[in-house]
Amino acid sequence: MSGRRLLREAKVAWAIGEKDIRIYYASPPSLMFGILFPFSMFLSFIIGRNMPITRAIPILIAQTLFFASSSIGPITIPLERRMQTFDRFLSAPVSLWTVLLGKTVAGFIYGMGISIIPMAVSTVFLGSEVTSLTALAAGMILSAFGFAAMGIMFASLPGQGPGQVLMPLNFVRIPLLFVSGIFMPVKDLPFWAQIASMFSPLTHTIELIRLGFGGENFFGSSVNVSVLAIYFAVFVLVGIRFHIINQKRE
Amino acid sequence: MNEAVRAENLTKFYGELCAVDHISFLVEKGEIFGFLGPNGAGKTTTVRMLTGVSIPTEGTAEILGYDIQRHSVEAKALMGVVPDISNVYNELSAWDNLTFTGRLYSMPKADRENRARELLELFGLFDRRHEKVETYSRGMKRRICIAMALINRSSILFLDEPTSGLDVQSVLAIRKLIRKLNGDGLSIFLTTHNMEEVSQMCDRVAIINKGKIVAVDTPEKLKRTIVSLQSIEVAFEKTTQNIGEDLKGLQNVNEVAKHGDKYRLFTGNPSTVLAELWDYTTANGLKIITLNTLGPNLEDVFVEITGTKPRQGSTERRVGVRRGMGRRRRQN
Repeated sequence: MSGRRLLREAKVAWAIGEKDIRIYYASPPSLMFGILFPFSMFLSFIIGRNMPITRAIPILIAQTLFFASSSIGPITIPLERRMQTFDRFLSAPVSLWTVLLGKTVAGFIYGMGISIIPMAVSTVFLGSEVTSLTALAAGMILSAFGFAAMGIMFASLPGQGPGQVLMPLNFVRIPLLFVSGIFMPVKDLPFWAQIASMFSPLTHTIELIRLGFGGENFFGSSVNVSVLAIYFAVFVLVGIRFHIINQKRE
Repeated sequence: MNEAVRAENLTKFYGELCAVDHISFLVEKGEIFGFLGPNGAGKTTTVRMLTGVSIPTEGTAEILGYDIQRHSVEAKALMGVVPDISNVYNELSAWDNLTFTGRLYSMPKADRENRARELLELFGLFDRRHEKVETYSRGMKRRICIAMALINRSSILFLDEPTSGLDVQSVLAIRKLIRKLNGDGLSIFLTTHNMEEVSQMCDRVAIINKGKIVAVDTPEKLKRTIVSLQSIEVAFEKTTQNIGEDLKGLQNVNEVAKHGDKYRLFTGNPSTVLAELWDYTTANGLKIITLNTLGPNLEDVFVEITGTKPRQGSTERRVGVRRGMGRRRRQN
């Protein structure tokens, strides 16, 4: 693909992402699954436990990234399928890659935007200190892209309502919380759970964010970055494949 | 190359169900091509394959020489699509809907804004351009949807049931617009249930039934294929009891039906029956007060070919026309 064509496709992807931001960010399902859900889960976990804020903040950031980024695709795509506005993209002179990239960008910005709020509040007002900006930025950026792509992959499930996609997505998202070192550090998990946590992308998100705030890291940052990058690529490729299968079926 | 659309063996399976079965047809540049069929015949599936929304199980489709699967970007850049429902973004204004569509087609900012302004003025919606589309009536949304399909100055426009469910004023405005666009050189692929629409607007029409194309021709030629539905309608100043039986006895009359004070004589050979009828009236001292020859309309052709009545809306329209004015006269 020529550089000119790439630039053209990137502009269209941004147009799609920007449109999603305008239409869907303030929609009730986005607010519920992207903001209310992770914050409620965090509060139910933290209230009554004597956890220092420096330990709690990485959990909140990881949870909001995870839920917010992965919710936008499953909300926008089924709604657009129902209204047949998704067909507009399919009949427009752009590749499916571009369309899904635009949707991924919308999820990425949503996740980043929401998770930056607790990060900013904790560093400015609560005394949290970022010791490795590289680890924090890598963790947040890779995770936001990866989880957004995961949402897009799930959004290829047949169905014409967000509920039909969010329900199976939650069957994956919620169990992942328990094997990803969110509630208990990976080093304290039983061996089988440590193995399982290795395969959860959320483990590597929380590890990098903890590292960013000067916390401990079990698998090592190179492993964290590599696993998140691999997951992003896998989610994108599988998502594209699923959407093509859908086009063949529909 | 004079083809706007070329479909070759286009096929779509949904599991075991064959929705579109190896159909092939051509749409020439600059024509309005009607695509008719009963519900579930495969019309929308065909349009979805032609526009790249759905991937065919088998076969190919070309838009102005570009294969919709292999050169999809080039093919899609030349087309505009109006689906059966107005798929506009209700949360955005008319202006934003149009400019966003322009961005999908990679139009430069100034160009898409000029085009959006031009189209909104053409459709009479410029004054309400900043209102959210959710506040618009169904007819206004339909116009926005068509405007969005025209933003890229497409060479071919796919219209799926463009006037379905609209008020008479909107229907007339959209038909007028379609004619104007066609007059400006745009090729039009029109899917509709409305026989009158096809009859009045299309240069050629394809009829699809159970996934197969069963006829492709001009509306008038299609009507002429059903000679058995030609008839002569006659009314006499005075009638007698046995007149119906007498008319049945005429040599080339297949069937006689009494409609009020008129008799309808079905025949495959109207000119011979006219001569026989003239002899009969002269011999019996009768005086003809009405005499019409009637040809089958497109709905008759549709029913004859597909064995299916069109949707209620178009049937009612036709009944209304028949009751009010009689069927279209070929000769008085």
